[in-house]
Amino acid sequence: MSNLFSGINARFRGGGASQKPSPQTKSPTSSTAGAGTPHSSSDLSQASQSSSSQAPKVPPLPNSPSLAQTIGMDEANRSMASGEDILNSYQLPRPLPLWLNSAYAKHIVKGNFMTLSARPKTVEQGEWIAHQVVEHYRNLWNFVRVIHEKEDDGTSICSSATCPKMSAGHNHSFTWLNSRREPVELPASEYITLMQRWISGKIDDTNIFPTDPSGVSYAHNPSITTTPLSQLSSPTGEPEWVGKRSGFPKNFVDVCQTIFRQMFRVYAHLYWAHFTDPFYHLNLEKQLNSCFSHFVLTATALDLLKPTELEPMQPLLDLWAANGTFPPESKAYEYANIKVGEHLLKVAGAS
Amino acid sequence: MENQNNNNRMYLNFGNNDRQNPPNDRANYPTTPSTFPQPVFPPHSGQSGGLQPSQQAYQTGYAPQGYFMHNQYPANYPAQPQGNDFAAVNVYQQRSNTPGTNDPNTGLAHQFSHQNLGGAARAQAYNTRGPSPAQRPRTAGAPGQSSGYASYPSAPMPSSAPVPPEDLFARAPERNPDRYGSNANNNQVKCSKLAADFFKDSVRRARERNQRQSEMEAKLQEPNQSPSRREQIWSTAGRKEGQYLRFLRTKDRPENYKTIKIIGKGAFGEVKLVQKKQDGKVYAMKSLIKTEMFKRDQLAHVRSERDILAESDSPWVVKLYTTFQDTYFLYMLMEFLPGGDLMTMLIKYEIFSEDITRFYIAEIVLAIEAVHKLGFIHRDIKPDNILLDRGGHVKLTDFGLSTGFQRLHDNTYYQQLMQGRSNRPRDRNSVAIDQINLTVSNRSQINDWRRSRRLMAYSTVGTPDYIAPEIFTGQGYTYDCDWWSLGTIMFECLVGWPPFCAEDSHDTYRKIVNWRHTLYFPDDITLGVEAENLIRSLVCNTENRLGRGGAHEIKAHSFFRGVDFDSLRRIRAPFEPRLTSNIDTTYFPIDEIDQTDNATLLKAQAAQARQGGQPIEETPEMSLPFIGYTFKRFDNNFR
Repeated sequence: MSNLFSGINARFRGGGASQKPSPQTKSPTSSTAGAGTPHSSSDLSQASQSSSSQAPKVPPLPNSPSLAQTIGMDEANRSMASGEDILNSYQLPRPLPLWLNSAYAKHIVKGNFMTLSARPKTVEQGEWIAHQVVEHYRNLWNFVRVIHEKEDDGTSICSSATCPKMSAGHNHSFTWLNSRREPVELPASEYITLMQRWISGKIDDTNIFPTDPSGVSYAHNPSITTTPLSQLSSPTGEPEWVGKRSGFPKNFVDVCQTIFRQMFRVYAHLYWAHFTDPFYHLNLEKQLNSCFSHFVLTATALDLLKPTELEPMQPLLDLWAANGTFPPESKAYEYANIKVGEHLLKVAGAS
Repeated sequence: MENQNNNNRMYLNFGNNDRQNPPNDRANYPTTPSTFPQPVFPPHSGQSGGLQPSQQAYQTGYAPQGYFMHNQYPANYPAQPQGNDFAAVNVYQQRSNTPGTNDPNTGLAHQFSHQNLGGAARAQAYNTRGPSPAQRPRTAGAPGQSSGYASYPSAPMPSSAPVPPEDLFARAPERNPDRYGSNANNNQVKCSKLAADFFKDSVRRARERNQRQSEMEAKLQEPNQSPSRREQIWSTAGRKEGQYLRFLRTKDRPENYKTIKIIGKGAFGEVKLVQKKQDGKVYAMKSLIKTEMFKRDQLAHVRSERDILAESDSPWVVKLYTTFQDTYFLYMLMEFLPGGDLMTMLIKYEIFSEDITRFYIAEIVLAIEAVHKLGFIHRDIKPDNILLDRGGHVKLTDFGLSTGFQRLHDNTYYQQLMQGRSNRPRDRNSVAIDQINLTVSNRSQINDWRRSRRLMAYSTVGTPDYIAPEIFTGQGYTYDCDWWSLGTIMFECLVGWPPFCAEDSHDTYRKIVNWRHTLYFPDDITLGVEAENLIRSLVCNTENRLGRGGAHEIKAHSFFRGVDFDSLRRIRAPFEPRLTSNIDTTYFPIDEIDQTDNATLLKAQAAQARQGGQPIEETPEMSLPFIGYTFKRFDNNFR
C-alpha cells in the first residue's frame, strides 16, 4: 500500500529527525492489516478537526516485484530497490499526474529557498514560526482564491460537484470534525472554507499570535547572552516552551503544526485535483510550485510537518530533491527519496 | 534596479516567457562539474564589510559566476545571455560526460545551495544543522556528499525499456485560460503577481536582514566590547528583528491612529494627518473608499501606486510606510510632508518669479527622472501631486495613474470623455473661461477658476490640465508624456494658469489635443525668451519634445544655465515652511476641507444597509490581495 511504503521510506530518510513517529509507521504490518479502514494520521491533538487518510482497497502491484522484499527490509536492502520500483510502490495513478513531469515542476524563482526559511540568529524561535505561518497562509490563499471565487453565474472551479470530497488523489481524503467531534466528509470547497476560518481565527487571536511590539524577545545565545534564561522568562521550575519569552502560549507550536498540516492538505488538494485545471491552464503552475516547495522547506526545517504527513505529495518532493529545488542540507531533501526523483527526471527526459 | 548587483543574491526568474520550450529549460539551471576544483575564493566584493569568519567560510563555497566565466573556461564560455545564471549549457554537457558522475542533478542541487543572498543566513542554516559552523559548504565531490552517492555506485537502470514520457505522464493539454471566467482570470493576474511579489519582497528582506546581521556581528567583534555591551547589542538586534517580524504579520488598523486633521478630500477618499497612538509618530494616511475604487476600476491604480512607492528609496518620492485595509477602506500610510503642495502654493502666490520657477522646475525634473529610473511613467504630474517637505523641497506623490512601462493602457476612459457630451452643469463650480480671453483684464475670472481648482483636484475625474495629448488620443505614449506635464506646470508657474484651462474638462481635452492652435502666451505677461522656449520645447508633439532622449536634454536647456542639479536638494529652498510643531497644518487649506470623517459616514451607511441585506462577509485579504500582502519595510519603520 502506497502510503505505507512512503511512510517507511520517509522514516528512513528522516532518521532521527522526526521525534514522534506516528503509529502506522511504527508498525507497518498492522497498518497493512488495517487497509481499507480509515486511520487517524496522528491528528487528534487538534481539537476541532482531524483527518483520515483513506487507505485504498489494496490493488494489485504488477509493476512492483520487489515490494515484498521491501517490506520489513533494512536500509541496506532498500537501497537495492530502484527508483522505479519505489515509485511503483507509491501506487500513483497511471499516467502519472502532470505535476510529476519535471517539465511542469519548475519555478518562478531560482536559488536557495533555505535562505528565506532559516531563522535569523538573533530572532526568537516562536517569533520566527509565527512569521512563517502568516506568510505561508497568505501565499496559499492566493491560489485558493483562484479556485474558490465564484464567477458571476455563481460557479466556481472547485465546487461540491467537481470535488465532493477533500481529497488528494484516490489514496487520501480528509475529514472534518464536526461540533460533536465526529469526522464528516465535506466537499473540498467547504472543507477549505472552514479551514480558512479556523486558521484566520487563530492568526488573528492576539492571545495566540501576540502583536504588541513591546513583548518581543530575542534568541538566547549562550556565548553572548549571559543573563540566565530563567530571569528572562519565568522563575525556575516553570516549563519552558517555544515562544514563551515572546508571549506565545504553551500550545503555540501545536497550533502552528496544525495550521501547517491543514495548509499542506490544501496544497495537496490543489495538486491532485486542480493542477491542470486550472493552474496549468492559467499558467500558474510555476508559481504554485515555488510557493509549495518553499512551504515544504520551511515546514520541515521548523519541524512543523512530520515526514509521514508529506505522504500525499511524496513523489513531487522526491522530484524536487533530485532536481535541486531542495538543497541537500535541507530536511525536505532528507525526507525525500532521491532515487525516485532521479527516476522521474530520467523518464521525463530531463536528464 | 532589481538586476543590478545581484550576483550575491537569489535570482528571481519571474515571467512565464520561457514556457515555450520546456525541454531546454534545464539548460538555464546552473550545474557544477563534480571534478571542479575547490579554490578558495576571496571574500566576495560587494558584500558589506564585517563578515565574520563563519560567513566567510560560506562565502568561499558559492562560486561567483565570474570564477567560472573567466578563470576556468575563459575561452569556451565567452558570454552568457542571462547574466545571473552560471555557465550552464556547456558546463552541463561536460559534466554529464564525466565518468562516474552520471547524476547531473546533484551538481544542480549543490549549485543552488551556492547561490545565495549573502553569507549570514546561509551560515545560519549550517549553524542550526551541523556541529561545525565553519565547515566548508558541501559541493559536489566533497567527502560528505560523495559518500552519500557511493552507496549507490551504479544507479539501477530501468528494468524495462524506457517508456516514452507522453505515455508515462498525463499529457499536457494546450493551455487554455479562456475556459475560465473573468473572475478566475483576474485572480490569475493577482495570484501571479503576488507570488512574484512574495519572493521579491522576501528576498529583499532576507538580504537586508543579512546586512543588518553582518553589521551587528561586526559590532560584537569590536575590541574592548564588554560582555554586557555585547549582550545588549545582541538582544537589541534580536528585539528589533522580532518587532519587525511582528509588525509584518500584524494587521494594522485605523484604530491604531489618531486623526489630527483631514488635509485632503476627494471622491475616492481622504488624506488625514494622523498620529500613531503607540509611539506618537506622525504620518499622512490616505484612505481610499473601496466601493468607489471598485466602481471606477481604480484598483490597478492603487496597485501601481503601491508598487512604485514600495520600490522607491528616492528622496524625490514620498515614502510609503505600510498599506492595510478593512472592510471599507484601503489605507496607505505615508510620510507627512508639512510644506503642503505646489497647487496650494500656486493658489496662494498666483505666479512665481522666473528664479523661483527655475528652482521648482529643476527639482521636478530630477523627481520625474527618479521616477523614470524606477521604470515608471507617472502620467499624472500636476501641482497637486508635487509636495513640499519640511525644507521646502519637492517630492512626488500620487502614483495612482503611474504605470510600469510595459503595461498596456486602457484609454477607453479618456475616449469616452472625448466623445461624450459635457454633462457638467454650467452654473456650478465652473467658470466661463475662454482661453483666448484669458488676459489680465479678466483676472477675476481666473480667480474663480482658481477657487474651483481645488474642487477639481479632489473630484474623481481629476484635472486633465496637465495631461499630454497622446495619453488620451490613444496613440500610445512613453516616458516623455511626463515632460509635457512639466511644461504645462512651468507655464502655470509663470503665467498663473495652466495653458489649456477651460470651463470644463471636456473643453480642456479638446484644447490639449489641438495644442498647436490653443497654446497661447498672454501678451501682457513677459516671459524670458529661454523660459518660453523651454515651455514650447516641452508642450509640443512627442517627436520634437525635449526630454525624449532623457532628462539630461532638459537639464542642458539654457533656461537652467548655472543650475547645479547635483546639489539642488541640499541648497535652501525659496519657500521654507515655518512650522510650530510636527503636526502643524498651516500649509494645508484645512478651512476649505470638510473635516467630517468618511469612515463615520460610511459606517453609518453600512449599518443601515445591513439591516436590510446580509452582512458583508469577506476577509480583507480575499478582496484585495495586493494590499493584503501588506507592504512594510524595515528601514522605513525601524531606523
